[in-house]
Amino acid sequence: MRRFEGLVGRFVGLMRRLAGLTLALGPLWLVAPAAQAELYYLIVGGLGGEPAYANRFLAQTETLADAAARSLGGDARVTLLNGEDATREALTEALQGLAETVTPADTLAVFLVGHGTYDGLAYKYNLPGRDLDGEELAELLGAVPAGRQLVVNTTSASGAVLESWAKEGRTLITATRSGGERNATRFAEHWTAALSSESADTNRNGIITAQEAYDYTERMVAESYENEGTLATEHPQLTGEPADSFTAARLAARVALTQELERLFAELDGLEGQVQALRTRRSEMDSDVYLNELQALLLELALVQQRIDDARAEE
Amino acid sequence: MPAPKNSGARFILRAAMAAVALAASALASPAAAQSIGAQPFDYSPGRDPVLQPCDEHYHRGDRAEAAVCYTQVSAESLDGAVRAEAAWRLGDLQAANAFFRTALELDPESFTIRERWGRLFLATHQADEAARLFTEALDLNEDYTPARLGIAAVALGRFEDRARTIVEEVLDGGGRHLEAHLISARMSLEVGAVGAAREALDEALEIAEAQDLPPLEVYSLHAAADVLQGITASEWTDRALAYNPSYGEIHATPAYYYLINRRYREAVELLFEAVRIQPDLWTAHAELGVNLFRQNRVEEAQAHLALAYQGDPFSAQTVNTLRLLDSLENFVVLRRELPERVVSAGVNTEVDAEGETAAAVSAETTAAAGGTIPAPGMLLRLHKDEAPVIDAYVTDLVADSIQAFTERYQFELEEDVVVELYPEHDDFAVRTLGLPGIGLLGVAFGYLVAMDSPSGSREGEFHWATTLWHEIAHIFTLEATGNLVPRWFSEGVSVFEEWSTGPLPGRHIPVRVLEAMAEDRFLPVAELDGGFMRPTYEGQVIVSYTQAGLLCQYIALEWGQQGLVDMLNGFADGLSTAGAIREGLGVAPEDLDRGFREFLEAEFRATLDVLEEWQGLTQATYRALDAGDWEEVVDRAETAVGTYPDYVDDGNAYIPMAMALEELDRRPEALDTLETYWRLGGYSPGALRRLGDWLHEAGRPVDAIAVYDDLIMVTPLNAEVHATLGDWMLAEGMADGALREYRALMATQPHDMAGAHYRLATAWLELEDQARTREHLLYALEIAPHYREAQQLLLEIVR
Repeated sequence: MRRFEGLVGRFVGLMRRLAGLTLALGPLWLVAPAAQAELYYLIVGGLGGEPAYANRFLAQTETLADAAARSLGGDARVTLLNGEDATREALTEALQGLAETVTPADTLAVFLVGHGTYDGLAYKYNLPGRDLDGEELAELLGAVPAGRQLVVNTTSASGAVLESWAKEGRTLITATRSGGERNATRFAEHWTAALSSESADTNRNGIITAQEAYDYTERMVAESYENEGTLATEHPQLTGEPADSFTAARLAARVALTQELERLFAELDGLEGQVQALRTRRSEMDSDVYLNELQALLLELALVQQRIDDARAEE
Repeated sequence: MPAPKNSGARFILRAAMAAVALAASALASPAAAQSIGAQPFDYSPGRDPVLQPCDEHYHRGDRAEAAVCYTQVSAESLDGAVRAEAAWRLGDLQAANAFFRTALELDPESFTIRERWGRLFLATHQADEAARLFTEALDLNEDYTPARLGIAAVALGRFEDRARTIVEEVLDGGGRHLEAHLISARMSLEVGAVGAAREALDEALEIAEAQDLPPLEVYSLHAAADVLQGITASEWTDRALAYNPSYGEIHATPAYYYLINRRYREAVELLFEAVRIQPDLWTAHAELGVNLFRQNRVEEAQAHLALAYQGDPFSAQTVNTLRLLDSLENFVVLRRELPERVVSAGVNTEVDAEGETAAAVSAETTAAAGGTIPAPGMLLRLHKDEAPVIDAYVTDLVADSIQAFTERYQFELEEDVVVELYPEHDDFAVRTLGLPGIGLLGVAFGYLVAMDSPSGSREGEFHWATTLWHEIAHIFTLEATGNLVPRWFSEGVSVFEEWSTGPLPGRHIPVRVLEAMAEDRFLPVAELDGGFMRPTYEGQVIVSYTQAGLLCQYIALEWGQQGLVDMLNGFADGLSTAGAIREGLGVAPEDLDRGFREFLEAEFRATLDVLEEWQGLTQATYRALDAGDWEEVVDRAETAVGTYPDYVDDGNAYIPMAMALEELDRRPEALDTLETYWRLGGYSPGALRRLGDWLHEAGRPVDAIAVYDDLIMVTPLNAEVHATLGDWMLAEGMADGALREYRALMATQPHDMAGAHYRLATAWLELEDQARTREHLLYALEIAPHYREAQQLLLEIVR
C-alpha cells in the first residue's frame, strides 16, 4: 500500500484481509493488465459530523478499499483516507503524490464519500478542519496525469461540480444533479455495494465497469426513495468519457496466468470482439441469420470458457 | 359532430394547459367572450330596474335584442355595479370583474356589490373566492339573504350538508325567497326525494309568478323530477321551450340528475339535445365531453371539451380532462377475449423480449374494428410502461370476475368491458369526477371501469385486485338494471362480492365502522343512499359502504343469493328500494332493518363489547414495539389477537407479534402468526414477502407460492417478487406459472436482463419449446457472453 511522507492516513492491512477473503463466485478469468498501465485508487471518507454518519463513512470507505485491493490483487496502489485523518492537508498531499507517481498510461479512480455543501457559488467537500473547495479539488485532480480518470463524488450537492470538473479523459459521476440537492445522499451506500455485487455485473464477466456500477447505483437509489414513498432528494449523474470501458472493480482476486491460459484468454477476447461486432450489425441482418451467427460464436466462446475453467481447475 | 384533427386538439390543449393557472387566478387574464345565453339568473330583490327590459329579452331567449339593450345600458349607466351586470350578460367577464372592483372601491361598505361579485366568481368555478365575498357581505349585513344563499350555493356544489341548514334557516325566517326553494329542491332531487322537491318547486313557481321572476329554473327542475320518476316526455320541457326556445338547461338540468344516478347514456342523450338548442351552453358541452369519454367515445369527447374550453376557459374540469385526453397517447388499448369465447389469432400471445405486445391495438384500430367483433370481451387501457407487466393479471381477474358475476347475478354482458388503470391518481380523479384530489380508488361508468393503477399509490396502500373486483361487480348491477339500481345496493353488492368471491379472503370492517355500529349510526335501508350522497359526519361514506355490504351479506344469508338477484330484478323494473325489498324479499323495509339489526347483534356484539379493550391492547402492542420490548409485544399482541381475531387491516396486532417472535428467535410461532394473518385476508406486502420466504425455507414451497401469488395482487410491479415466484414455480414443475412470472419480470425491464432471459429460457425448456429456449438463451448470452449457466444450457440443447 502506498504511503505518503507525513501522511497519517489510516491504511488498512488489506492484503492480510484479502488472504482470507472467500468469494461466493465460480472461477473467473482475470486478464493481467499490461505492464506499463496501472490502475490507482484514491478513496476518501470526509467529515461525518454526527456519529452515525461518521461510522457510515468509515465503513463505506473501508469496503471500497477492500474492493479496490481485491481488484488490483493487492493494496499497493490503493490510498485510503478516512476519519480524522482525512484532512485537507492529507488529501492535498495524496493527490500531489499521485501527480508525481502516475503516468499518462495509467488510470486513476477517485471515490469521494461524505458531505458536500454548495452556497450558490462554491462547492465544498467537508473534511475535518478546513474544507477543500471544488476549485481546489479540480486543480489537484487535473494535475494527476493519468490518461483515464474516474471521479465519483458521492456527497450531497456534488452536482455542483458537474461542469467545473469536466475534463478530457475523465468520467465524472455525482450523486446529485445540482448543488441544490443538499440532503445527505444514499449514493455511496449503493455504489459501495455495486463494486462487490454480482447483481451489478450485468454481463457476468467478473468485472464491474463504472457504467455497470453507476446503473446499479442509480436504480437502487431511485428504488429506495420509491419504496419509502418519499420524493427523491438526489438524482445521480454521469458525464464525460464512456464509463463502460472503465474497470471500477473486479469481483474476484486476480490470479497468475500460465501461457496456456493467456492463449485461451486471447482467444476468448477475440470471440467476444466478434460478438460485439455482430451486435452492431444486428439491425441490418435477418433475425434468423443473426441468431444463427450469434449462436455459432457463443458456442465457440462457451467451449473456450470451459477449457479455461478446466485449465484453472487443474492448477 | 366532426372530431377536430389531432393537431387542432393539441393546440386547444396547449391553450388549456395555460389556463390551469388562469383558473386559479381570479379572472386576472382576459377571458374568452362568453355567450349571452349562459348566465345564471339573478333573483335578488335589489337588481337595478334599469336592467329589467334587457333581462326580459334575455329570459325569453331574444339574444340579439338583449345584447343591444345591455350594450346600451352599459354605455349610458354611471353605476359600476350596473355596468358590471351588463358586461357579464354580454359575456365580457373581464370587464364585469373590473366594474365590480371599481364599484366596490367607490362604495366599500356595499354588501350587495360583494354578493353579486361573488356570484360572478361562482359562475367561473372559483367557489373559494365567491365564498369569501359572500362572507364579507354577511359581515356587513348578517341578514342579507342573497349572500346567505350564495354560501348555500357554494355548499351545494360541494355536496355539503350545511346547504340544507342555511336554506332551512332562510325559509324559517320568513320572506319569500325563490332561490332558497330552488336549492331545497335540488338537494331533495339529489337524494331522490321527488315529492319534497315538487313541493319546493311549487312554492318557487308561485314566487316567480308573483314577483315576475323567470320561471325557467323551476321548469327545468320539475323536468328533472319527471325523469327521476321515469317521465321522459315532460310537460315542463314544453313550457320551458315555449317561454325560451333556446333554453338548453331544460335538458342539461335533468341530465345532471341522470348523471348522479349513474345513468350516463340517458344523460348524454339529453346533453346532446341541450347543446343542439343552445350551442353556446358551455357547461353542457363540458359535461357532454366528460361523459362521452366515460363511454369510451374519445374523439367525440375531445371535440365537445374543446368547444367548452373555447367558451369557458375557467373550468378546471374541462382543462384537466383535455390534458388527460392528450396523455392517452401514453396508453395502449389491448383487446382480450373472455376465456369461453373464440380466441382469435394473435390474442393473448407472448409479450416478447422487446416489450411488444402482440395483441396491442390502438384505440382507433379497435374502434374501426368494432363492427367485426362478434361477442363482448374486454378492452384494457393501460399505461404503455405497465401494460406488459400487469396485462396478464388484469385479464385473469376481469375474466374470473365476469364469470363469477354472470352466474351469481344471472346477467349476460352485452358489450365489451373497458378497464382503465391510471398510474397517476390525479388522472384517475379527473377521469372520474373531473377534478383532482378525489379519494376514490375506482369507479364504474356502465361498462367502463377506471381506477388507480397499482403504481398510483405506495406499495401495499391499496389492494388493486380487490378494487378491480369491486368495480366489475358494479358493471353487473348497473347494466342489469339499466342503471336504475340505487347507490346503496350497487355498492353493497360490490362490497359483499369483495368479501365473498374476491381475490382477498375475509370480511374487512374498518374500526371507524365498528365505532359507528356501536354508536347506532347505521341508517335505515330506505335512507342509506343519503349516507353516500350527503354525509352528515366524517367517515360516513365508508360507514355507508360497509353497512351496504353487510346488508347484502345478510340478505344473501337469509334469502340466499337469489334474494339479491330478485331485488336486482325489482330495480330493473323501476322499483324503489322499498318496492324492491317488498317484491324481491317479501318483507317491508322496516322488517329488513329489524332483521339486519339482529344479524349485526349476532355477528358483532362480542366484538363491540371488547372494542375499546382491543384498541387499548393494540396501542400497547405498538408502544412496546417502538420500545423494542419483544416479550411485551408478544404478550399484548396475543391478547389483542385473541380479543378480535378477524382484524388484519391497518394497525393489526399480527404483524408486530410476528416481528417480536422472530426477534425472540421463535420462528415457527412467528410463521404461524403471519400465516393466520394471511389466511384471514391480511395483505401487507412486507409481511407477505416474509411469510412466503419463511414458508419456502420451512420446506413448504406450495404454500409459499400461494402467498406470493397473493402478493402479486397487491404489488404486481415488483421485479423481485416475479423472479422469486417464477423460480419457486419452476422448481415445483409449474412451468406455465413460471413463464407468466418471468414474462412479467422481463416487462419490468430489470437491471439483470440477461438473467431474465435465462429464466425465460428455463421455463420454455420445461414447456419443451426448444426454439424459444434457444432464442432466450441467445439473448441472455448476447448481453452476458460469460454467463456460465446460460452457456451450459445452450451447449446442452444444441448437443
